[in-house]
Amino acid sequence: MSAIEIIFFPFVLALGLSLFFRGESNVSKFAALGLFSYMLSFSLSLFEQLPEEGYLLLGEFLKVERFDFVLRLQVDMLSTIMLTLTSVLLILVALSSWSMKNQALYFSLLIMFSGAIFGLFMSTNLLWFFIFWELTLVPMYFLVGVWGAERRIFAAVKFFLYTHFASMLILVAFFLIYKESGAFDFTLVRESMLLSPVLIWWLLFIGFAVKMPIFPFHTWLPDAHVQAPAPISVLLAGVLLKMGAYAMIRLVILLLPETSQQYAWVILTLGLITMFYAAFMAIYETHLKKMVAYSSISHMGLVVIAISTMSYAGLSAALYEMIGHAFIIAPLFLIAGFFHHKTGSWEMRDMGGIMQKAPYISAIFVLAGLGALGLPGTMGFVGELSILISAVKSFGLWMIVVALGSMLGAGYIIWTLRRVIYGEMSEVVKATNFKMNMMEFLALAIFALFIILFGIMPNTLFEYINPAFSQFSSLGGAL
Amino acid sequence: MNSLALTLLILPMTGSLLAFILGKIDKRYAFWSAEFLGLALFLITLKLYSSYSEPIDIAFTWFTLGSLSIPFGIYIDELSLVMLLIATGLGFLDIHFAHDYMADDPHQPRYYAKVLFFIGGMILLVSAKDMVSLFMGWEFMGLASYLLISFWHQQKAPADAGVSAFLFTRFGDIFLFAAIGMLFYLTGTLDLMSLNSMATAGDIDKDMMYLVAVFIFIAAIGKSGQFPLFPWLMRAMEGPTTVSALIHGATMVNSGIYIVARLFDFYVAAEALLVVAAFGAISAFIGATSALVQSELKKVLAYSTMSHLSLAFIGLGAGSLAAGMTHLVNHALFKALLFLGAGAIIMSASHVKDMWRFGGYSKKMLFVSIAMAFGALSLSGIPPFSGFYSKDAIIATTLLNSETSGLISSLTLIAGVLSVAYISRLWLLTFAGENRDSELFAKVKKPSFFWITLPLLVMAFATFAMGFMQEGIIEMVSGSVAEEEHVNGLLFGLLSAIALLAIIVYYYYVKRLDITKKIASQPLMKAIHKLLFNGYFVEFFIHYFVKNVVVGSFAKTIHWIDKNIVDATVNGSKEFARVVKGYLMKTHSGQTSDNSGTMILGVLLLLVAVLVGGVL
Amino acid sequence: MISAFTLLFAFALMSIALHRSIFLKPFALLGIGLAFYASYLTQGIALSGFSLEENIRLFELIVLVVLFALVLHEEDDITITQILFIGTSSMLLLESQTLLSFILSFESLSLISVILVTQIKTKEQADGAIKMFIAGSLATGILFLGVAFYLIGGGSLLTPLAQETNSFETLGILLMLGGLFYKLTIIPFHSWAVDSYALVRHSHAALLSGLAKTVVAIAVFKVFAPFLMLHSDLTNPILITVALLTMTLGNFLALFRKNIALMLSYSSIAHAGYLLLAFVAVKSEFAKDGILYISIAYIFMQSAAFLVLDILKKHYAISRLEELKGFASQNAILAFMFTIQLFSLAGIPLLAGFLGKAVVFYAVVDAGLWWVALIALLNSALSVGYYAWVVKGMYFDSFSAKEMAFVEIKLPMSAQFILAVGTLYFGIFASTVFGV
Repeated sequence: MSAIEIIFFPFVLALGLSLFFRGESNVSKFAALGLFSYMLSFSLSLFEQLPEEGYLLLGEFLKVERFDFVLRLQVDMLSTIMLTLTSVLLILVALSSWSMKNQALYFSLLIMFSGAIFGLFMSTNLLWFFIFWELTLVPMYFLVGVWGAERRIFAAVKFFLYTHFASMLILVAFFLIYKESGAFDFTLVRESMLLSPVLIWWLLFIGFAVKMPIFPFHTWLPDAHVQAPAPISVLLAGVLLKMGAYAMIRLVILLLPETSQQYAWVILTLGLITMFYAAFMAIYETHLKKMVAYSSISHMGLVVIAISTMSYAGLSAALYEMIGHAFIIAPLFLIAGFFHHKTGSWEMRDMGGIMQKAPYISAIFVLAGLGALGLPGTMGFVGELSILISAVKSFGLWMIVVALGSMLGAGYIIWTLRRVIYGEMSEVVKATNFKMNMMEFLALAIFALFIILFGIMPNTLFEYINPAFSQFSSLGGAL
Repeated sequence: MNSLALTLLILPMTGSLLAFILGKIDKRYAFWSAEFLGLALFLITLKLYSSYSEPIDIAFTWFTLGSLSIPFGIYIDELSLVMLLIATGLGFLDIHFAHDYMADDPHQPRYYAKVLFFIGGMILLVSAKDMVSLFMGWEFMGLASYLLISFWHQQKAPADAGVSAFLFTRFGDIFLFAAIGMLFYLTGTLDLMSLNSMATAGDIDKDMMYLVAVFIFIAAIGKSGQFPLFPWLMRAMEGPTTVSALIHGATMVNSGIYIVARLFDFYVAAEALLVVAAFGAISAFIGATSALVQSELKKVLAYSTMSHLSLAFIGLGAGSLAAGMTHLVNHALFKALLFLGAGAIIMSASHVKDMWRFGGYSKKMLFVSIAMAFGALSLSGIPPFSGFYSKDAIIATTLLNSETSGLISSLTLIAGVLSVAYISRLWLLTFAGENRDSELFAKVKKPSFFWITLPLLVMAFATFAMGFMQEGIIEMVSGSVAEEEHVNGLLFGLLSAIALLAIIVYYYYVKRLDITKKIASQPLMKAIHKLLFNGYFVEFFIHYFVKNVVVGSFAKTIHWIDKNIVDATVNGSKEFARVVKGYLMKTHSGQTSDNSGTMILGVLLLLVAVLVGGVL
Repeated sequence: MISAFTLLFAFALMSIALHRSIFLKPFALLGIGLAFYASYLTQGIALSGFSLEENIRLFELIVLVVLFALVLHEEDDITITQILFIGTSSMLLLESQTLLSFILSFESLSLISVILVTQIKTKEQADGAIKMFIAGSLATGILFLGVAFYLIGGGSLLTPLAQETNSFETLGILLMLGGLFYKLTIIPFHSWAVDSYALVRHSHAALLSGLAKTVVAIAVFKVFAPFLMLHSDLTNPILITVALLTMTLGNFLALFRKNIALMLSYSSIAHAGYLLLAFVAVKSEFAKDGILYISIAYIFMQSAAFLVLDILKKHYAISRLEELKGFASQNAILAFMFTIQLFSLAGIPLLAGFLGKAVVFYAVVDAGLWWVALIALLNSALSVGYYAWVVKGMYFDSFSAKEMAFVEIKLPMSAQFILAVGTLYFGIFASTVFGV
């Protein structure tokens, strides 16, 4: 399949599957798995074709010359990494959705999402970027709204509306960019062409801040995370939030470097606030999945801090932490959802002693938890270490406050483990049978493997991550 | 040599996995693979030791972050080797001992896997070349400690103890983590040896250096159970006694001292040793006094560990690397002995830990009592046991150093002397006199010789023999034999104080227990007892602070703000829209007359606008 | 060659003879098909005072497609004939070149619309029809007042609208615009639409709010754009205020509606606000594309939405939101089509509604009014609130208690299919619009 087909074929496939199949459907499951695996091999094959520097043109489609409305598909290292991460996550999400209800529709939506997200990461035309950006909302809206928990409708609508509102700021910014530079293709836009970079910067920053999410625009996320079915929470944290971070790097930092430099303190401050704020929220939380959700936000705060350094090391660290966060938070969400599914409760006080009933699942939960608090040997540590080092390097000694974040992380993670995994069995747990579908467990095991593997050998990732920002290397680390 | 060193690093980690998998096939395989690996590790260390000529120095780039490279290296010199010998030697004996101690446990694969993982962490720590690998080893041990303390996670107390251990040490660890960042910023290198030499050469800003030193010391405090981060150590006694012996008596808790020793030049240059000595002195005093009144066997040992580690810190803080480190080595051995001895007692006594229910146990387990007596003597500082030399050296150093000679040396002296009291109390209450719980006594089994008593005797012999090898140890840990420093009359005074105390303890705890009880029931004594028994309420304060200030006030406030301000704004937008809609609804009555009226009004407004716009 | 207009007119007249015959519908479809063919193949023969431009021709084709779908959907004989008449006058209106032909065809369109809704069967429909009639006559009055001023100022009806104007002419033109805005349901000429759209038959509402509105918008833009471009200093403040008020009012009042038709009526008003933005941005070269694109998008999605309501009412007796609960499990395909149209109305990408709005809003930004575009976009985001709520009802809620029988609805479904394809096609292939 060519690049354009890999974007639009999923839409066709999704339509077909949703029309011709109903309810339980092995065809849909395997179609999704097959498609996502193909997407993975496609993304991996891109690595070999990438040029040393700059973009690889995959084609131009649907040209509207007069409006510069062209679906121009170009990838560089950064987008290829995002594509690979996304396809890996999609495969694992498909596996962990193996026993979902109403599979035909569910997997159709998942497939539709995959098409949109691939389009997003491949398109360098801002208008098409925006189209795919919005398009990801639709399947997500349904996935949360149909398969979610008790307050799913509230969460789905809030998620849809909140992020859609933010998108409007982005669209205005894109329009301004086109008006002032005459190009919708961000590879052709330079900051010097723009007449009102500050206005554009703020519009874009707030727009993407909602998606990442950055305090005080984060409140849609806990609701969406909690109500979404567990695999969709993984998708939210692993892909949707990463979209925000990707856009923040690509369209705020790289597109408007000078204005970003000027407002780096804004990004940094909000990143720090997000990290600590969410950590304290997580500490106070007794709702298991909400705790995980806040922990996720807290880690995105770290990514924001890394982004705000605007340095070679900092952006590499941010990208690594983005990947690490995806792999670490995924099993936490999946297992939290699984526990809820089995025990029927979200509250930690109803759990306890699950280790005795489900040792392997609990062990993966512990491992992922340790990853979240940044224990060496996991991806979490490498992420935190790189962010600490790059932040200190860029902003000076006081950035060691970043370390404090991992103390708070230890606080909520360890205390959660104590309440949920360890200790005496609660009555609810005693009465519960924690049997898991093999495919779902397989997904968990793969996540666990990634957490350790890339935690011990981070260079396998950094070999790809560093070149993504190599344009910084000649500039001595900072812009 | 390099490949041997790398094997030493990789073996325990892979072995840990192996022991777990084999153990899943058959429980006994877990033990045997662990025993075998433990022995192999010890032999490799011995080989490294015997063929040591110059430090092993291996440096890798762990990963490249942008244009920065993050190192990962191994550096094994004599100081590391001593620590390695302790870790692998005691580790092996501990595994051996666990054969019986853990025999009934259904989760042996998990146990041995974790112990091997722990040993791996310790090896990584002591052979670290740079801050990153050091921190990794540091955290691995912390993790293993957490997992092993809450090994019996199905019970409340061990699970709680694990949380406490992790969080207390983690609090310290983040300062070490921060120190990595600071050092990278200040010096651009994370290599420990270069840091030492840079510090000595004065290449680093002195105030900053002081700050870094304090940060690292906070981590050391956490890991080594010093004031004020010691309460976790007492709680850690909930874990299996073999674990307490290895991790919370002999090895992991030493790592705080090791890290200060490793960066000793840095500390000297930063002039931060006084802080070390001061905190050491406070901890030594708290530990020694609290140990006096504990009723649980293992808690006495835990407080004693705290107190003796403090002595090692004081030794370093007073400026003598040799004194501190030798005490560390000596202490590791006799404390492992005492802990394992305690383990033997507890195991034989149906897992009762309360000393007041023991008494007269030497009749049942003579060899254990003898071995423990050796340990106790060494701990008390009776010549010619190893503990005497190092303790003496520490006290002498504090007295001779003008900065530490006042309060610090007095506290050190008190702590040193009091150790006699609590350890004799422990020994006497357990082994001497009449048994105080005949039912329990009747059930006491004689421990197995090969699996239990033999390792104790080996350690007892070693602690005795080491008394005659002190110079060798000093040379290994500090690189040179320092000139003997003496304080006139100190030895005599110490010895007589020790003898006197031992006699008093013997009198009150064996001969006239009734008087002891009477004294203890005095209101003042009761209050003091309560204070000491609870470790000066440090845990209480910290717990109170965290629960009520951090969580109860701070986190709660943020939670409130999020719910009632940040999120309420978002969720309230619905209500806002409803209100706006309500107002706008008033513009639409649905009456035809109003419809027409608004149209006419519109035309009129247009005319007005046109007039204002200046068209007409 | 015969023009589309002539063909439609002929077929409309002849169709009267075919009432109560099964041949009426095929006959009407044939007429529209021939008209499409004629319009597609030829430049057409313009009557005097009428002409064809490329973009107008494209829009004519679209109108014919939608007419086709409407006829396909319709089961009432009289309405079919009226649809053809409306099509005829739409062609006239679109092609009108002089002010006189413009006003005449506009009035004929208005009249046929009124006749359309006077097929009164219920009290509600009477209410809606009368409101529309009264408002319409008032608007005609305003329009003619404007014409009178224009003539007093010295303007001529037999030429295109003057650009350089004196004060009387300007006032006249503004008043004319006011009269025309009645059809576009711009504040303050909007009140009638709320009730009329919601109360008359839904298939009639589809014609009124979907087809008639966009045709008028395109025609008005064509006629008045040159004038507005020259007088934007004067008109823009008024137009911006009116546009923003219209969309804000429409969107807010559409929120929390239980009656789907009422919600769509308000959303129609909101869309009038977006349409008006093209007039605001008239200075931008993209304004023309904008009004064309948003009209194309709107004609598809709004007609389709009202036709869905018609199906729902006729076959499922659903008119309120709570009755729609779990509808997706009853008729998945119709629910899917409805979702497409609603999302298109909400401005979700890959659907025509998004690109339509995007081009108009870009034109506004291009005209230097980014803040107007921002407010409009936020309005559009707000509209997601009620559109998504309908979708939520269909998909997320479980079935309502009412047991629904499976109904075979063939022709209206194919009409829906045509409209959905239109919405999708113009959501992806923008070059069709920009190419002309």
